[in-house]
Amino acid sequence: MRYKEYNRNAILEKAILLFWQKGFNGCSINEIVEATGVNRFSLYHEFGSKEGILYASLELYRERYSKNKFDLLKNTDGEIHKTLMQFYTAFLEDNQPMAGCYFIHVGTELADTDENIRESLNSYLDEILSLIQGLLIRSGIEKNVGFYAKHLLGLFCTVMSFCLIQSPAEYREYVANGINIILSSYAKIVEQ
Amino acid sequence: MPKSLNSSYDQLVEKAQEIFWLKGFKGISVKDLSSELDISQNVLYNKYSKDMLFLDSLNYYTNNYSDPFLKQLRQTTEGLDSLKEFFYTLIDALINKTFPRSCLMVNTVVELRNENTDVVLKYDDYLNTLKDSYIVVLEKAFKLGQFKNKTKINEYADFLLGIIFSLSILYKIHSREELCIYIDEQLTFIQ
Repeated sequence: MRYKEYNRNAILEKAILLFWQKGFNGCSINEIVEATGVNRFSLYHEFGSKEGILYASLELYRERYSKNKFDLLKNTDGEIHKTLMQFYTAFLEDNQPMAGCYFIHVGTELADTDENIRESLNSYLDEILSLIQGLLIRSGIEKNVGFYAKHLLGLFCTVMSFCLIQSPAEYREYVANGINIILSSYAKIVEQ
Repeated sequence: MPKSLNSSYDQLVEKAQEIFWLKGFKGISVKDLSSELDISQNVLYNKYSKDMLFLDSLNYYTNNYSDPFLKQLRQTTEGLDSLKEFFYTLIDALINKTFPRSCLMVNTVVELRNENTDVVLKYDDYLNTLKDSYIVVLEKAFKLGQFKNKTKINEYADFLLGIIFSLSILYKIHSREELCIYIDEQLTFIQ
């Protein structure tokens, strides 16, 4: 069948880039047709709607670009500040379509009005939260793990938008400062 | 900006900023913008421009939302407690949609990044004023004995500067109560 001749993931890669650069509402189905070279009928057949393309593109991003970053948090032998730093800076790297996080970008635009987007943003951030919790526990932090994880996730949300206008050096400094402020409060509690 | 900056242009900007706040800059075409503003596309192309309306929308936001709000913050006297009130008010504006979608400046950062120099100047200005206001309040907090190390003021101000960004995402998935606890806890890091 004709519509199966193209590569689904190749379409979604193009969609990620378009939605990321122009926003979901800033890009028409015609532009997607043009960028992918796949006609409208086939796109709708495969994804159902423009929203369907967006949802599928988020899945691909999570699978293709987030998983390896999430794996950094599963590191078992690194020092915690270093491991966190690696995780936060992984989103800066050139190994994804743009700097930052696609989920935060799409969430900023659409999570108020699209329940599916809200849900997937929530589940994405939840996964990061539990990975950070795991990291904290492995690093010997016993008290208030949920508390520190929550604020390290807050730092993630901050830098994923803030980082877009900072130079990589400023970004690293901001992240390091944030991690220190959050984790040094743990050291103080332990001392007391 | 045209010389004949009259009330009808002001009204246009007021309407436009609401639209940009909801839809973003790229999220609305010139065609849709002109029809929502009830002006002809011709006027939008020849007399004004989408860029000009957007920049003036950012000015409108600064003049009507952030400047008065931050002036009030700088005049407060309770240090960290005043900051808490400030963030609570922000949470309410986000949850009740007084702010239609996140913070317009944060949206602009996320959407346009460094693409447009004029826009960069606007949000830089906004972020600098925000940080300066935090410093004013932190200095009062220090005098009140709410934290010990004065040399940390700049670091703390940067940390606080991040809150507007995290809240702009977190309000979408958390309740008002959770967000207020988040703020309370963030402020405990200043010690």
